[in-house]
Amino acid sequence: MKTAAPNQKLQFLLLGTVGLAVLPHYPHLPPLTFGFFAALLGWRLLGVRHPAWLPERRVLFLLLLLGIALLFTERQGIFGRDAGTNLFITALGLKLMEMKRERDSCLIVYMAFVAAATQFLYEQGILFGAYIGLVCCLLLTLLIAMNGLQHPIAQALKLAVIFVLQAAPLAAAMFILFPRLDPPKWLAIGSETRNRTGLSEMLEPGSITNLGLSDELVFRARFDGPLPPPHQRYWRGPVMAATDGKRWVQAQNFERYPKSNPQVSGRPYRYTLLLEPQEKNWVFALDMPAEFSPPLSRNANFQMITSELHGQRAAYKLTSYPDYNTGPLSSAEYRDAIQLPGTPSARVKELVARLHGYDAAPELFIKSLLNHFRRENFRYTLEPPKLDANPIESFLFDTRAGFCSHYASAFVYLMRAAQIPARVVTGYQGGETNEVGNFIQVRQADAHAWAEVWLDRRGWVRYDPTAAVAPERIEYPLDVSRLSPGETIYFESASGEFGKIVSLLKQAGLIWDTVDYGWQRWIINYNGTHQANFLAGFGIKGSRAMLNWLGAILIAATVMLSLAILYRRRRKLDPALRIYVRFCGKLARKGLVKGTGEGAKDFAERVKAALPEHAGEVDGITGIFMNLRYGKRPDPKDIEQLKRRVAAFKP
Amino acid sequence: MQNAINALLDSANQILLGKQKQIRLAVCCLLARGHLLIEDIPGVGKTTLAHTLARLFGLEYQRIQFTSDILPADMIGSSVFDAKNQQFTFHPGPIFSQMVLGDEINRATPKAQSALLEAMEEHQVTVDGKTYPLPEPFFVIATQNPSHQIGTFPLPESQLDRFLMRIELGYPDSAAERLLLTGRSRHSLIDDLAVALPPAQLQRIQKEVLQVYASNALLDYCQAIIRFTRESPSYPAGLSPRAGLALLTAAKAWAYMDGRDAVIPEDIQAVLAAVAGHRIRAGHLDAAAVVAPILSQVAV
Amino acid sequence: MNAPGLKMKDRFRLSRFVFGEKASPDPITLNHRRIFILPTLSGLGFAFLAVLLFFIAFVYNNNPVYLLAFLLAGIFFLATVHTFRTLAGLVIREGHGKPVFAGGTAAFPIHIDNPTPLLRPQVRIEGQPETELALPPDSRNQIFVHRTAARRGWCEAGTITLYSTFPLGLFRAWSPLRFNMKILVYPQPAEAGVPLPPLSAGPNREGTGHQGSDEFYGLKNYSAGDPVRRIHWKAYAKGYGVLSKQYGGGSGGELWLDFDETPGRGTEERLSRLCRWVLEADQAGLRYGLRLPDHRIVPADGALHRQSCLEALALHPL
Repeated sequence: MKTAAPNQKLQFLLLGTVGLAVLPHYPHLPPLTFGFFAALLGWRLLGVRHPAWLPERRVLFLLLLLGIALLFTERQGIFGRDAGTNLFITALGLKLMEMKRERDSCLIVYMAFVAAATQFLYEQGILFGAYIGLVCCLLLTLLIAMNGLQHPIAQALKLAVIFVLQAAPLAAAMFILFPRLDPPKWLAIGSETRNRTGLSEMLEPGSITNLGLSDELVFRARFDGPLPPPHQRYWRGPVMAATDGKRWVQAQNFERYPKSNPQVSGRPYRYTLLLEPQEKNWVFALDMPAEFSPPLSRNANFQMITSELHGQRAAYKLTSYPDYNTGPLSSAEYRDAIQLPGTPSARVKELVARLHGYDAAPELFIKSLLNHFRRENFRYTLEPPKLDANPIESFLFDTRAGFCSHYASAFVYLMRAAQIPARVVTGYQGGETNEVGNFIQVRQADAHAWAEVWLDRRGWVRYDPTAAVAPERIEYPLDVSRLSPGETIYFESASGEFGKIVSLLKQAGLIWDTVDYGWQRWIINYNGTHQANFLAGFGIKGSRAMLNWLGAILIAATVMLSLAILYRRRRKLDPALRIYVRFCGKLARKGLVKGTGEGAKDFAERVKAALPEHAGEVDGITGIFMNLRYGKRPDPKDIEQLKRRVAAFKP
Repeated sequence: MQNAINALLDSANQILLGKQKQIRLAVCCLLARGHLLIEDIPGVGKTTLAHTLARLFGLEYQRIQFTSDILPADMIGSSVFDAKNQQFTFHPGPIFSQMVLGDEINRATPKAQSALLEAMEEHQVTVDGKTYPLPEPFFVIATQNPSHQIGTFPLPESQLDRFLMRIELGYPDSAAERLLLTGRSRHSLIDDLAVALPPAQLQRIQKEVLQVYASNALLDYCQAIIRFTRESPSYPAGLSPRAGLALLTAAKAWAYMDGRDAVIPEDIQAVLAAVAGHRIRAGHLDAAAVVAPILSQVAV
Repeated sequence: MNAPGLKMKDRFRLSRFVFGEKASPDPITLNHRRIFILPTLSGLGFAFLAVLLFFIAFVYNNNPVYLLAFLLAGIFFLATVHTFRTLAGLVIREGHGKPVFAGGTAAFPIHIDNPTPLLRPQVRIEGQPETELALPPDSRNQIFVHRTAARRGWCEAGTITLYSTFPLGLFRAWSPLRFNMKILVYPQPAEAGVPLPPLSAGPNREGTGHQGSDEFYGLKNYSAGDPVRRIHWKAYAKGYGVLSKQYGGGSGGELWLDFDETPGRGTEERLSRLCRWVLEADQAGLRYGLRLPDHRIVPADGALHRQSCLEALALHPL
């Protein structure tokens, strides 16, 4: 146990892996702490080759003081995610300097595990998960390599991978079945990262990402007649008219807009809305709801509101019409609908001008803008790149990748830049049809954002720029359990000689998205509700049942593994011998046990003496057996005879 | 052929009373073309056994009494200058006979012993650079007194290996003892014996013995025994490969005497004590006790 | 081979965990009854690590951390299985050790057979950290357990503990084994220098007058136990192989090593002196006998004789 510090190669591997484990903390560590750690790691690396360069006791003490001083200057305290990480990385760096015995190395490996795991508090992407998984494999490799005196590292790595693969089913069982409970209040330091569910009162490109991946049911709508076609399935939620350039919220005082009754026409859709428990008192009605009864009411943005207590399942009867005219616009509404956070930049103005925003009818501008989205290399993705200070401009001119909120907000912004009243509407779009029950199921994944433009004589008209980029998003409802949500679609480059490569890339992209979706759905968002829903499908309800199942599975795994170990493979027996063993078993029950070194003939003599009435059978069986096993010309057919005789033998 | 063998055994049992097992082993040894070592105190019938067998097989018989001053030449023979022919002629010694009884071999000096043992091994002797083949069949029965007696040169372990079997005769039981005391002299009985199995037939049998079949399962058992003796801490030395071969050959002869054409584990067990006893525990007289753990622990 | 079932009381006897079960000459198959397993200090640390990660996951409601914590827990659990499997199924038998002289190291041979198709890496023996065995599948292996042979007589192996912490070092599986293994320890040979006692007339000289021990008689192939002095080096140098010179009878004069006439204070010192003499006489190819107060070995030579003389010296009552 008390071997010296591991050899140089191992030390390099250990330090390298620790570096890999800490490296992703770079963005969220104070630069001083990270620098301190990096310096210590570098020092230690030099110390592998030149042990004399390592600090002595006094210097170590000074380093410790320096570390404490650094922590103190950063004033983060010691509790909470950031402070904890900070403290931990500092401690790890200091521990590196004191790596003398195997036990120290072991402790460092364990600390590196924690350092790697805490990454997940900041970042949970799948690539990230893979990276941390790799680091953990390396850490296990280190444990194995440090334990053996003669292990080549490659072999240790192989073993580590085997270990992870073997442990994976157990880990999965625990992961699925261990009840996700909310931590008690006094422990809830980490609430800043908790997922919110449901549409929010605020739209910020990116905030709908999580929604798009949750298959939590929002409501069902059962139709009395035929279902509306997919492109008409817009379920209206809060309307966002006010913006500061980054986020969109409902206009202040929108409740004071004069309420108007839109003129509706076209085929009426009568339906019953079965709303799942909601945090808000919003009811998502199909555009445009015209007939309803209390407790429902329609606000000035034509959104349905219920006065009932939220938090319960509720059912409402409604009638909606696909065609409508909302009529004139009040001055307050107009003001809100062309409000911009400042003057648009020259780039934006130039774009609007190029698309005839200033010199043509609004319809024409809208058309050319949608064409712009379609023609330029805009693409639809649920994993858009991060947008900086000016998200709309970055989106329009640089990244050109985003999902509904990006498109809707950019669309509205450009409309307003051309002095056309416009606003963002949030809600749900599409839904999964159930032909049998004639109803539509809408899940959180169907959350959507689109635009409304006020046009003369037509009132508010709905435009969905997302449909221009990703028509599938609108035409084919998203089946969350089957489809990957983040289709990456290139509209422009699918022609020419690159077509093949592009379609291959698209395929790869689709597969990648599926994987990513699985990760998001099954790992990141596997929360209490999801777990309860999922396990209820197997008839496992409640934490206690989950724990019972978990216990049962773990016990079963233990038993299976133990059996696998204790069951020793028997050597392949000669078939004749196998039958003869059966014969001996029958005699053993009579108290006639064949000795280890006793030959069949001697045994037969003993048996005949004890059971003279069976002498004939015993002789026959022994004779056939001996001939089969030792005879010069054994007859394979005798096996059958032996089998028969032994079967018939009843002492 | 079995009838002849059985008749032979019966006749021998008439002479040596109550020694069925030992006689059977001795005959088995002969059929397997091996040499026999009888280790026992004087007077229990070692010589009688040798004499009887020689008679029954119709073999030419010579007895060499070993003493501490016997010289190799006394056994092998020597070249003597023949005055008439003015040249050396070889006068063969007593070893040139089909059955040689080497009595009290451990009285002789190692030098004399090794002369005999080399002849046994090679079935020929070399004198003055000339090689003289020994007759066929050639069978040596050596007797040895228990080694703790004073003035003896116990055969070294390496030499014991040359004997296929070692048996003890032991005292006769009381019934046999009584018959010995009251009956006719054994020697006169031996003189009356008729040849039961002439040498030509013996040689044929010796060839047939080698044809007796040993199945894989049996060879497994045989190997398990050999391995056991090599690994078990109770034995200072395990069975050598030569000993393993000897064990199998003896078992074949035993099976042949039983009228079978294939060896079974019981054959091995029957000859084990005689074949292996002196090879794995030289100093120990009770061969049955030496091999008992093998018989009970090695799985058939 | 199957040991009889244990009584409950015996099953929990502490000595089983430390010293192993009663000694037996039979091969021992390591199974769940013979192998004990407990976490090591780093194993406890690893368990704490898993709990810590679990706690972090719980507080932050973070699923990837949960997954990692559960993965570590699974690995911890599997490590017991793997560590146990490193020893399970091995068959251990005692070997036959060679005698040593007092003050030397007695090497007890242990046969470790691996009759399974699995490689058993990192099998170690307590007290011998430098031995780390890797037992290939279906192999027979022999190792030596060393004990210092402090005094003449029987040196016992005592309890031999096999252990392994393979693969992660989180658990230690061990199996304490007891054998009846003994190695004879000869007395420590005294310093050379005291000459051998004078030859005496042998009691057994009849018929050997014409063959003095110096009389060259012939050559024979060298066989183990022939004195080195008698090797015919010239023949060897000429490429005839190793031949031993044969001398007549060898009973020209006999050497008696007599305990009562051996110089030295106390029994042990005399035995040491006798031991040296036996070695010297053997080296010189002499025929010698040994006379102890309660034992007498007639003159002879050769390896076997030397062995029985040394045995007699070793087992002389204390």
